[in-house]
Amino acid sequence: MKKNEHAGSRILLVEDEENLAKGLDYNLSEEGYVVTRAENGKQALELFAQNEFDLIVLDIMLPYLDGFAVAEKIREKAPQIPILILTARAGAIDRVRGLQLGADDYLTKPFHLQELLLRIQGMLTRKKWYKEITSDQPRYRFGDNEINFADLTARAGKQKLQLTQREAMVLRHLIDNKGRLVSRKELLEKVWNTSSEVETRTVDNFIVRLRKYFEPNPAEPIYIKSVRSAGYMFSELSQQHRKRKPKES
Amino acid sequence: MKRLRFLFHPVLVFVFAQLAWLSLLGLWIYWYVSNYIIFNQVGDKISPQLISAKTNILALIGGLVLLLAILTGMYLIFIYLNRQLNITKLYDNFIANVTHELKSPLTSIQLYLETLNCRQVPSSKQKEFFALMMKDADRLKHLIDSILEISGLEKKRIAYNFHLYEADSIIKTVIAESVDQFRLEEKAVRVTGSVEGQCVLDRDALKIVFDNLLDNAIKYSRESVQIAIHLAHTPKSVIIEFRDQGIGMAAKEQKKVFDKFHRIYSPEIPNVKGTGLGLYWVKEIIKYHGGSISVSSEGLGCGSLFTIELPIYQASKTHYMNRLLKLTQRRKKQQGAYHEKE
Repeated sequence: MKKNEHAGSRILLVEDEENLAKGLDYNLSEEGYVVTRAENGKQALELFAQNEFDLIVLDIMLPYLDGFAVAEKIREKAPQIPILILTARAGAIDRVRGLQLGADDYLTKPFHLQELLLRIQGMLTRKKWYKEITSDQPRYRFGDNEINFADLTARAGKQKLQLTQREAMVLRHLIDNKGRLVSRKELLEKVWNTSSEVETRTVDNFIVRLRKYFEPNPAEPIYIKSVRSAGYMFSELSQQHRKRKPKES
Repeated sequence: MKRLRFLFHPVLVFVFAQLAWLSLLGLWIYWYVSNYIIFNQVGDKISPQLISAKTNILALIGGLVLLLAILTGMYLIFIYLNRQLNITKLYDNFIANVTHELKSPLTSIQLYLETLNCRQVPSSKQKEFFALMMKDADRLKHLIDSILEISGLEKKRIAYNFHLYEADSIIKTVIAESVDQFRLEEKAVRVTGSVEGQCVLDRDALKIVFDNLLDNAIKYSRESVQIAIHLAHTPKSVIIEFRDQGIGMAAKEQKKVFDKFHRIYSPEIPNVKGTGLGLYWVKEIIKYHGGSISVSSEGLGCGSLFTIELPIYQASKTHYMNRLLKLTQRRKKQQGAYHEKE
């Protein structure tokens, strides 16, 4: 296996099946990660409160407190920590619930080792990249909108919003390339770290959501413009018409 | 609209339908009786042939029979549908419980196989991985066996091996084997009392009963396991009291714990994994032995007391016990004949 650029990352492994936990612990440690194991939901929250982690691998059917509750409580405290749900529950309702509660990825058992390791790497890569691009400019304003990339909060006029990390990443990438055409493929590569499961339509769905949040009229976008069959472009030219200067802090 | 939804519950719909039919029947009889005299009088005047007493009585009885047939039909359909609904619920529980129980060991085996395939694993670790895989394979085998055994038990196809035993020694021996299997400390399980008399038992089935009770006591004990087993007898039965210091159960759960696929979900208790088949299996085995099992608990955190009652041979259910012994003999003969043919 290749050398891992994220070696040293701290992973909280929440899994009550001892045999499986041992195997996961061994593999993650072999990849260079520092693994801390929790056997139940309560212990996971205790460990999370006492230590710093870069990623959480979370089972759902856990003693005392299930994985959904753990994800929810962790999300309240740390909106940015990547959470990978690893569970035997493969139903669409469970998947949606897990993702709605803030999990970044959902992998069902039995899984392939390589796939799990790649997903973890991808999540850590995105986390690192997001940290890098937001560290120097955590706040950005355009029109009546203000986005705080550090805590993923936003304000559109008087309305307050909580963004998901992916929404923030799409927006950040468009803003960083303001005035330049960004293709769907590029967004997939940069934000989704190219996943075969994600289609270009997913990008369009995210754009629709962002327009709904920040455009005065989502049907006629002035900030996030479509370039027919090519991609999207972030523009603040419209504000010149309003004779308002965008502020950056 | 949600408030009115209860009106469409199958039981309520069935009761309304039955009431409607019975009201119709009552009205019809009332109408018939009250108009019978007038009919007769008017009919006699208009045309004496119009009213024939014989035809009327036949029509009345025929009508009643038809109505009763319809009522019976509706009742049978209702019973059948209700059973189907219960089966669907059981099926959902089965899928939820068993899928997880099957997937977990399978995931673990797959993970170790892929690990051994992708990495240079040192030989000491390899041995550890093989041992873990064997453990998971055993777990899968145990699960599949129990599902098949229960299916056989329900269809009365199970190949039981009943023999007459001295109750005291066989029960104590089987308990000791189970305790040994779970590697419990000696002081964790205390056996007191004794019984007199003989019982018709299947040794292996009895072990399944104690294995399941011990397994539950271990899984549902927060700290160290403490089990007290007391043996006693009445003139007709052997009584085994199995008391654990586990988390116990609420009163409403006590009736349901022996139901197939029933699991107790509560945030106050550890979310123990399982199929929901263990206690159902125990109940079916005891029932097949002509005995009974019940549970009592003073509530959450107060432990549970399982009481098993088994009939003493020649003192109770003698006919049934003899039948069990005969079934075992017949099966052995059949097996012998089959082996000779081979």
